Amino acid sequence: MKTNAHKPQVIDCHALAGKGKTWADPEREVDYDVNEVFERGAEAGIDRYCVMPPRNDTYREANRHLAGLCEKHADKLIGFAAHCPQRETGHLRQMLVEEVRSMGLRAVRSDGPPNRDLLDAALELGIPVIYYPSGRWQQLGMYYHMPATAYPKVNFILPHLGQYHSLSWAAHIEAIDLAKRYANVYLDVSGVGSFKYVEMAVRELPPEKILFGTGAPELDPRVDREALRLLKLPRDAYANVAGLNILRLIGKHPRE
Amino acid sequence: MTESYSRRDFLIGAGAVATATAARAVQAGKVPVIDCHTHAGTGSDLTAPWTTMADPQEILRRNKEAGIDQACIFPISHDTFEEANREIAQIVKCYPGRFIGYAKHDPVNEKGRIRAMLLRECREMGLRGLKLHVKPTPEVLDTVAELGIPIIWHPGRVAMFDEVARAYPMVDLILAHLGSDLSNDWREHLAGIEMARRYPNVYLDTGAVVLTRYLEQAVKELGPGKIIYGSDEPEVDCRLEIFKIRMLKLPKEQEEMILGGNIQRLLGKYKGGAA
Repeated sequence: MKTNAHKPQVIDCHALAGKGKTWADPEREVDYDVNEVFERGAEAGIDRYCVMPPRNDTYREANRHLAGLCEKHADKLIGFAAHCPQRETGHLRQMLVEEVRSMGLRAVRSDGPPNRDLLDAALELGIPVIYYPSGRWQQLGMYYHMPATAYPKVNFILPHLGQYHSLSWAAHIEAIDLAKRYANVYLDVSGVGSFKYVEMAVRELPPEKILFGTGAPELDPRVDREALRLLKLPRDAYANVAGLNILRLIGKHPRE
Repeated sequence: MTESYSRRDFLIGAGAVATATAARAVQAGKVPVIDCHTHAGTGSDLTAPWTTMADPQEILRRNKEAGIDQACIFPISHDTFEEANREIAQIVKCYPGRFIGYAKHDPVNEKGRIRAMLLRECREMGLRGLKLHVKPTPEVLDTVAELGIPIIWHPGRVAMFDEVARAYPMVDLILAHLGSDLSNDWREHLAGIEMARRYPNVYLDTGAVVLTRYLEQAVKELGPGKIIYGSDEPEVDCRLEIFKIRMLKLPKEQEEMILGGNIQRLLGKYKGGAA
């Protein structure tokens, strides 16, 4: 995970791989092919991808499949587990310990409000929690204030700048406010339809708080890569947003 | 008009420079790049960005960076549009050659007055198209047919296009957002493609499509003649929206049709008389 001194690594913090369903209403059955991600990502100049499974009811199998893909493409993929705290409670610690320590996954996406089972395990393992309050964006703060306060040593990544496709402009502003308020809340700017809120986030937050992501292959990674270019960040800030920030967050892994 | 337009002397100067640039492009035989979907002007509601303000200077700055020669502009959200359309005409005048003004109307709230307003807005104020959110009534459609102007319509559902496109084949209808603003419902993108396939007078605006696979599908299935580049500025950034078209890597002539040739052809059908 060393960066080339002359060219900052571009790491997509939000890509998907494997079988499942989409979150959008109406949902679709999907089987995301990493080769499609590689092909379009290469054209965009993306070096590595953090991949997660798409939506499943439970994740033991999906995470195992994902870990296999990451092993196969170790130079390109960094695997993130996913779990549904509400459906998988009681088994979360056991599964996550195995997924992180034995299978090499580096973060966990929480499908549903993160509970103490999931957050205690994330704290123990030193992994970030990715949480997008899907279907609950009107109450974004409500779902972030308490976890971020109760677990100050757990880092949270809020995808899509708080609102997938920018269906609510107000959620973007609330997401920026959350990242300002809490040292442990970071923003992934994948899949934002209204770019001016990404520009707002960059203006108002330190660059360490913002993570480049694409939502590939559901979304074409070339679009968010172009958005990163349009931000016209100074070199150091660019290097952080493009890849160093996500590396820093997952660098808390106990094996490192 | 708000204070932001009070710097008119400066802006007219800037507009004149830009106009000369666009004119040179046309003289050089280049098809101008035209954004078919841009909002401009002020609103009084102040409840959302699109009821508050759309600053033409910001739009021009991004247009310049994206290589857009002209943008079709129409008002942001209002209950009635007589004043807002007047503001559009004034903005067009402030920045000569950079904007093509469209009227916007609410066929229900402004019922009975639209023909007179639209004739005046086109003939006296130089507007050249109509933006709608509400389904057009015969009053609107008859006037539009008389003027030979295109309608860009963002309907509640794509299916609403069917009856109108069939009853008024002489009216060019541009379906905004390829049927679904910000790809809120991907099924509407598919319905939009079908609608454009079914009716020769239905075209698809590419603005604010997040799921770009449907742009690829539309071009592949319909050909470039039915697709018209738009952005939905200033809520959606024209630099990224035009990138989505360039990303398709079409042959030059096809890309030129989408980026300007098609809308230029529709605007050329105007028969309403000089402003």
